[in-house]
Amino acid sequence: MTTPAAQTSAAKPAGAEPYRLEGELPMATQAAVPFIEIETLRAREFIPAAREALSSLIAEQGQAKVIRPVFNWAGRNSLFPLHWGLACCAIEFAAAFGARWDAERFGVVPRSSPRQCDLMIVNGTVTWKVAHKLITLYEQMPEPKWVIAMGNCATGGGPFRTAYSVVPGVDKLVPVDVYIAGCPPRPEAMLDGILKLEELIRERKE
Amino acid sequence: MQPDDITRALGPKLGDGLLSVEPFEGTAGRVRFRPESALALFEAVRDDLRFAHCATVGGIDWVDHREVFYVLWSDEAGQYLFLSADVPADAPHIESAASVWPSANWHEREAWELVGITFDHHPDLRHLLMPDGYVFHPLLRSFKLHEPESLEVKSRHV
Repeated sequence: MTTPAAQTSAAKPAGAEPYRLEGELPMATQAAVPFIEIETLRAREFIPAAREALSSLIAEQGQAKVIRPVFNWAGRNSLFPLHWGLACCAIEFAAAFGARWDAERFGVVPRSSPRQCDLMIVNGTVTWKVAHKLITLYEQMPEPKWVIAMGNCATGGGPFRTAYSVVPGVDKLVPVDVYIAGCPPRPEAMLDGILKLEELIRERKE
Repeated sequence: MQPDDITRALGPKLGDGLLSVEPFEGTAGRVRFRPESALALFEAVRDDLRFAHCATVGGIDWVDHREVFYVLWSDEAGQYLFLSADVPADAPHIESAASVWPSANWHEREAWELVGITFDHHPDLRHLLMPDGYVFHPLLRSFKLHEPESLEVKSRHV
């Protein structure tokens, strides 16, 4: 797979180049003003130079086009999931944050308050009794927010699909962005789902 | 403690409210009683036979009638005791045991919600496992499991 960053670096002569965000911020390569070479700047020169470069970029391409990828880049690298567990998938959720899989290296840090979260990982069987609490927690999360249905129960009810007490899929209650199959999914599968969600956020326009 | 001991202790107090005391493997016995004399039986079992702990309360749907059963534990005898009463299916109600054993409170809420047995004079008879407003008793044999694909799911629960 070729990324814009790979094409650009192939066209230029090899050698030590300053780090650029071209892959993340494609508009930087199209700007009339060359993007800042951060490593060549002294600290006191950084803010005026950044202000100048950003103002010219915004004047040239419009605010939305420039700022949106920055927010997407920042948001998808600091996803804060809600720290709660519904059933056995929560064990795998907990294991993913342990030393072996260490989900925090992706910037995924579970928070205990929905006010600080932008990601809800529904990890377990959703019963009708907990459905109202789930909706309340989802509504308490600030925008923008995403939902991952983790495991077969949250995806479609799982083995309890026809049971009297179980919601057949959490998408009956809240909009779901990524479904993770498995009973329960391994921590690798959960990390894969988070990376899939990061790809979705990267394409986000609004 | 043997079934004969239980009959001797409870018989004079309950009269014909006590139907039978059968041997039941692993327990002190199984006491069958009329639901009308429930409260007198509970107090006699707790005070005279010293069964101080109510481990569980449950219900069974036998279609033509329903059965309420109680499992009690005595630390002094080191034995369990079963109580059971038959209630009619069209008006299934029995006196609450929560005033005798406080631990029966939640077990009776569960039995009311799942099997539909009403416990009279219960301090707080409301839903335990299902959301408020749920109108079905899902462990009755007349309850049909739904098909999520063919049914509007929310209409059943809200």
